[in-house]
Amino acid sequence: MQGLLVFTLLLGVAFGHEDFVGHQVLRISAADEAQVQKVKELEDLEHLQLDFWRGPTRPGSPIDVRVPFPSVQAVKVFLESLGIEYRIMIEDVQSLLDEEKEQMLISNARASVRSTDAFNYATYHTLEEIYEFIDLLVSENPQLVSKIQIGNTYEGRPIYVLKFSTGGNNRPAIWIDTGIHSREWVTQASGVWFAKKITEDYGQDPVFTAILDNMDIFLEIVTNPDGFAFTHSKNRLWRKTRSRTAGSICVGVDPNRNWDAGFATGGSSSNPCSDTYHGKFANSESEVKSIVDFVQNHGNIKAFISIHSYSQLLLYPYGYTTKAAPDKEELDQLAKSAVTALASLYGTKYKYGSIITTIYKASGSTVDWTYNQGIKYSYTFELRDTGANGFLLPASQIIPTAKETWLALLTIMEHALNHPY
Amino acid sequence: VDSKQGCKIDLVFSTQSYNQEEGEKHLGNCSAHVFFKNEKPRPAINITCTRSIEKKKRQEDDYLLYKQLKQLKNPLKAANIPDSHGHIDPSLRPIWDLAFLGSSYVMWEKTTPFLHYNLVRLTSVKQWKTNDTIDFDYTVLLHELPTQEIIPCRIRLVWYPGKPLKVKYQCQELQTLEESSGTVEGSAESTELSNI
Repeated sequence: MQGLLVFTLLLGVAFGHEDFVGHQVLRISAADEAQVQKVKELEDLEHLQLDFWRGPTRPGSPIDVRVPFPSVQAVKVFLESLGIEYRIMIEDVQSLLDEEKEQMLISNARASVRSTDAFNYATYHTLEEIYEFIDLLVSENPQLVSKIQIGNTYEGRPIYVLKFSTGGNNRPAIWIDTGIHSREWVTQASGVWFAKKITEDYGQDPVFTAILDNMDIFLEIVTNPDGFAFTHSKNRLWRKTRSRTAGSICVGVDPNRNWDAGFATGGSSSNPCSDTYHGKFANSESEVKSIVDFVQNHGNIKAFISIHSYSQLLLYPYGYTTKAAPDKEELDQLAKSAVTALASLYGTKYKYGSIITTIYKASGSTVDWTYNQGIKYSYTFELRDTGANGFLLPASQIIPTAKETWLALLTIMEHALNHPY
Repeated sequence: VDSKQGCKIDLVFSTQSYNQEEGEKHLGNCSAHVFFKNEKPRPAINITCTRSIEKKKRQEDDYLLYKQLKQLKNPLKAANIPDSHGHIDPSLRPIWDLAFLGSSYVMWEKTTPFLHYNLVRLTSVKQWKTNDTIDFDYTVLLHELPTQEIIPCRIRLVWYPGKPLKVKYQCQELQTLEESSGTVEGSAESTELSNI
């Protein structure tokens, strides 16, 4: 990434006011000498105005080329007709330049936030900012909040879980995770808001205080840190982890298809290039395995809530089979109460039901596994909206979304408190 | 549903104003009959709606949009609408609206009983300089469900108020390197933008 940044900076400086709107950078993989020759031929076509960042040398060595907008279609057709593999490294050079310029201005202008009261909850943040927030929250509430590292990501980033506890020894607990799919930005943003909300409401709101006096809450805000970093640096719409798959040029496993519940039984893909690729085996992803280990070691989790966006749905098991969950009646009733509570704030309408009957068959999903572990109150949320903005939900909707979702979470948590098992 | 022949769906729904300034004003009701032949894409649609905006107002709204688009820096070039934070600059809102309309044709052509789409983002916009028509080249990203894939499509859209919308497109399916492409010409009735 550093190299790329330097390169694009140099580009911007060297070309001054030239603009690169619609220019794409392609990474071409020439499989043999003949293909390399073909790409060299392309180099000679001056009217295409190609700018090779990494020229054609030998088979297997990546060829990077910036293609001006008017030539993009022609170049792609040329490559595809000859069976020469390529992928789009940069979809729009100008927007990358603009974004980076903006980032630099922002990071130069911004001083580190000093307290969680000064933190801006109504905007999207980077991984660094969220990790800073976590440390601040812990230092401001040392009696209530602690940070646990449950593992490391594929690329070596720490995975953190916040523990909210008023004491006891391994009390029955509630688990909430956000951001398992990295492009679902409103979820990590909501997770940050939930964390702050917990510290504000304990001791103030009687219902919530009763919950936290008897149960612990575990909150994993950035469940897929590698993916999240990637949505900031390269591809805002990245969903999966960033693990490399042997034998494939494609990257990443869908962490919501990698769990050991109906793993790879339809409703997930065996193609590493697919956005629902399940991985080579269940729990292959450290992001998933870390949670599995944590849940099994803890042994006393009573409610498990995994938060996604978008579609406005509250879902319970199963996704991998049409067989009804034994607790279907109770889960359905509770879901109904939860979405009613959610709608009470702004009228936001949610549908609810089992995963397979409400959206589609999905195997190897998180809450199917947690439910089969005996965690009865296993739910998946799909937050705002229903498609108009989708993953690119305007930041102005972060707090309203978090607020209404919190009411649904309270409903579930309260029920778990009052129905111990 | 006769699964040998195809899949029929009957819908009843209400419409509301798309224009953000007007808020969620209820406009009218529609009933539609949707037919997928042999699970193929591009279902046949028969739709009737209660007339909720007078023709004169619709024409006025269309010309307003037309003027807004003509007033933008010509020829317009833009990228990433909305941005990563979901924000669309108000001056670029008409671009988004028009792109949404064009994309809806593309999505209609690709929808099957098993695949549906949402528009995620315009990755690039390039306007062609013309004397009369509004003429754009877009690349968009469509979110495909349930595969969760992000499908890039190039769309060429030509519009003049009162005339049928012309949409040419080419989409790239990532896995199979297949392409879906086509040309759509809307009827004047169904494409009057004030109804959006």
